[in-house]
Amino acid sequence: ASIMAAIHDPSSVRTVFHDSDNFNVKHPLMNTWTLWFTKPPTANDKNWNDLLKEVISFDSVEEFWGIYNNITPTSDLAVKSDYHLFKQGVRPEWEDLQNKHGGKWAYQFKDKKSVNIDNLWLHIMLAAIGETLEDEDDNEIMGVVVNVRKGFYRIGLWTRSTGAGGKRNAAPNNAGADTLMKIGRRFKETLSLEEADKVEFSGHTDSAHAGSTRAKAKYSC
Amino acid sequence: ETTKVVEPAQPTAGMQSLRSARFLKIQAEDGIYPEGIRSPNPALNQGGKSRGRQYDKDFLLQFQEVFKEKPSVNWDKTLKETVGDGDSGSARPQSAR
Repeated sequence: ASIMAAIHDPSSVRTVFHDSDNFNVKHPLMNTWTLWFTKPPTANDKNWNDLLKEVISFDSVEEFWGIYNNITPTSDLAVKSDYHLFKQGVRPEWEDLQNKHGGKWAYQFKDKKSVNIDNLWLHIMLAAIGETLEDEDDNEIMGVVVNVRKGFYRIGLWTRSTGAGGKRNAAPNNAGADTLMKIGRRFKETLSLEEADKVEFSGHTDSAHAGSTRAKAKYSC
Repeated sequence: ETTKVVEPAQPTAGMQSLRSARFLKIQAEDGIYPEGIRSPNPALNQGGKSRGRQYDKDFLLQFQEVFKEKPSVNWDKTLKETVGDGDSGSARPQSAR
């Protein structure tokens, strides 16, 4: 009983809000997340794998903010850079076995000057680490990504499956299309998009096989 | 003394706290936060294994101005080796000066 009393005694709990130099509790995340960065290619770089760099992994709210407050904002990145925030153990590539059967929700912001990409990227990261993009047991979210390109910014949300659950030949534990649509609507809401702005979902293999032409969206909302 | 001993960089108090702090078990019970700090939305944390580990945006944003500690004493080096130092390939237009 005395141990429980100590745990629940508010005076023994010092959060970062009480003293940011001297706190004794921190806020756990449900998952450990890894931040990756894709460097823009230069003439010397031979393949994309050399450009993808693992930056850091973290598992608390406090550490997330320490990183966010001390890293280059997206709006200062060079064209062809990407940030990827993925669950630890998943490489942010469709070739990763865990992404092989998956896809992504994505939206392109074509007016780079008018959009506050730093806030949008922050909000999608907060939704990922705060675990509000999916419900418990959906187990679909793999990570989020921001691409800096010449003509646009794009934010993506990668999912484990393409919503084939319930259909014949679907992999076991594959989420249904309704789950993917629910995640898509939360993605759209997190990015504060207007109803008329459509976010689109495509499977990774569809995108890969489509080559330079754009993959046909499997879902949109 | 004529020779100066270069001490290895020491972690700041905030870095040490981050390392030694224990994880809150079930947060958001009334009373752990100072006045003016909102608890996580209780609707998000009503049961199951995620209890106490779902955080809404408004709760998380409260940390933004509060915790600004670099993740490690080597952070600047890590950053330079991964994201780059901003000198090469920076999107910022080169200064004309």
